Amino acid sequence: MISEGEAAMDATGWHPPDRELRRYGERVLVPPVLWSIEAHLAACAQCRERLAVVDPQVVRAGWARLDAELDAPVPGPVERLLVRVGVAEHTARLLAATPVLRLSWLAAVVSTLALVALLANLAHPVVFLATAPLLPVGGVALSFGPRVDPTYEITVVAPMHTFRLLLLRCVAVLSATTALSAAASLALPDYGLVALGWFLPALALTLLSLALTPRLGPVLAAASVGLGWIALVTSTLGVGSGGSAVFVPAGQLALALAGALAALVLARIRRAFETPRRFW
Amino acid sequence: MTVTATGPVVRASDLTLRYGRTLALADVAFTLRDGVTGLLGPNGAGKTTLLRIVATALVPDRGQLTVLGADPRTESGRLAVRRRLGYLPQDPGFHPGFSAFEFVDYVAILKELTNRRVRHEEVSRVLTAVGLADQRGKKIRALSGGMRQRVALAAALLGDPDLLILDEPTVGLDPEQRLRFREVVAELGEGRSVLLSTHQTEEVMALCQRVIVLDRGTVRFEGTPVDLAALARGRVWTSGSRAPEALASWRAGTGRYRHVGDPPTGAELLEPTVEDGYLMLVDATADQEAYA
Repeated sequence: MISEGEAAMDATGWHPPDRELRRYGERVLVPPVLWSIEAHLAACAQCRERLAVVDPQVVRAGWARLDAELDAPVPGPVERLLVRVGVAEHTARLLAATPVLRLSWLAAVVSTLALVALLANLAHPVVFLATAPLLPVGGVALSFGPRVDPTYEITVVAPMHTFRLLLLRCVAVLSATTALSAAASLALPDYGLVALGWFLPALALTLLSLALTPRLGPVLAAASVGLGWIALVTSTLGVGSGGSAVFVPAGQLALALAGALAALVLARIRRAFETPRRFW
Repeated sequence: MTVTATGPVVRASDLTLRYGRTLALADVAFTLRDGVTGLLGPNGAGKTTLLRIVATALVPDRGQLTVLGADPRTESGRLAVRRRLGYLPQDPGFHPGFSAFEFVDYVAILKELTNRRVRHEEVSRVLTAVGLADQRGKKIRALSGGMRQRVALAAALLGDPDLLILDEPTVGLDPEQRLRFREVVAELGEGRSVLLSTHQTEEVMALCQRVIVLDRGTVRFEGTPVDLAALARGRVWTSGSRAPEALASWRAGTGRYRHVGDPPTGAELLEPTVEDGYLMLVDATADQEAYA
């Protein structure tokens, strides 16, 4: 034991007093004293042993913490990128764990976009413009619900708000599909901005699908919106270079308004997502 | 953590729920206090439906329910319950590719443990509590069924919940895994309330201080396992042949038949077990062939 008076120096140099070691164990020390003791402990086996004697419980807890950190999940590249751009660590974990964002799903999206971009080049861009908005709708539908999320039952009784989790997953799916669709749009250089005509419909359809989810469930809501979209595009074919009235400026404006309306409805009914549903 | 000094952990009355035309629960009433309570009943009795209602995963059509002093019908009440609840569903799903640590860590975030260091310590604690400290880095797909159940149990234990709801936790486990799991649950039952559904009477005998028997959506019994066994006192007898008039009749390990029902005059009566009491309550005829 080293008392306050003896702490200053002994034959081998300075050693921290017991009181300081205890405070170090309790993690209440602040820099620069903390740094000083940490550096000393790294070099002084005698004081490491003293620390174990001074407060063995704290040392055991320290080992447990170290053990936990060694087994802690190593963030993947997406998670690391999200944290780097300012997303909170726990939110990045939730985003990265979105069930639908698996390699298989992303591969399916890439394949679909590649195929429709090819068809669009061979036939007409409307094939691409009409298909791309359906991908986030489908992705969102497959992100939440008892049939598609293996942890749904655990998720739904967790204190975290269901609506927040759903929105997080939507953001993850929308970001991924938007980036991939934007890349696929490069395959249609001759059509200029018209090649980005899928973006507003993608947003509007996703929001509309979410707004219908409390009533219909995620899958039926997405299916209804998807069928409605196909009906709308096919019934307005032959207008503008995009191939349908929904891709001309007036059509895009109408879709933007529909999306804004759906967002308002969604904000109003957000509490409905917190009520457990029986038939989803 | 203990809440029972002030009253029941769960108080339910008139709970009724229909799935379309099927009446899943009819005017269910019960109270739950500290310790392990077994919810016993045959398949399709409504056990999972009742547990899901108590766990706030389902809203009943009507009835009153108080869980940990809160009303789960209101949003604030539901949140209050969820913050003090641990729930192991009948078929817990896992994200493929997650390790045991990653899965529990993910659930910890859903349980509002946002500080990374605190969360990881808690994840480590619960994995140690279920005996998986040395398996935490393993992928869940590489774990046995029993270990997976324990991973899900660890997730349910996050935050040291006051009420633990376990839905058929030992289904699909081999006898050794079942034994290990029971040991863990028995330890957990000390100082908290555990509601455990099962259709195995030996589980009730091994673990539960109290038992609720549910059959066809109604509560048929609520009391101690000893009281349940006592229901069959004087109604269990043995003979060398099958007794068609018995409620249930099966050949025991001794080679003689054991019967539950109204014994004939002069029958050789036996000391009843929890299983005998249970068979007195539920319609055993459907299962008779399996017992014979």
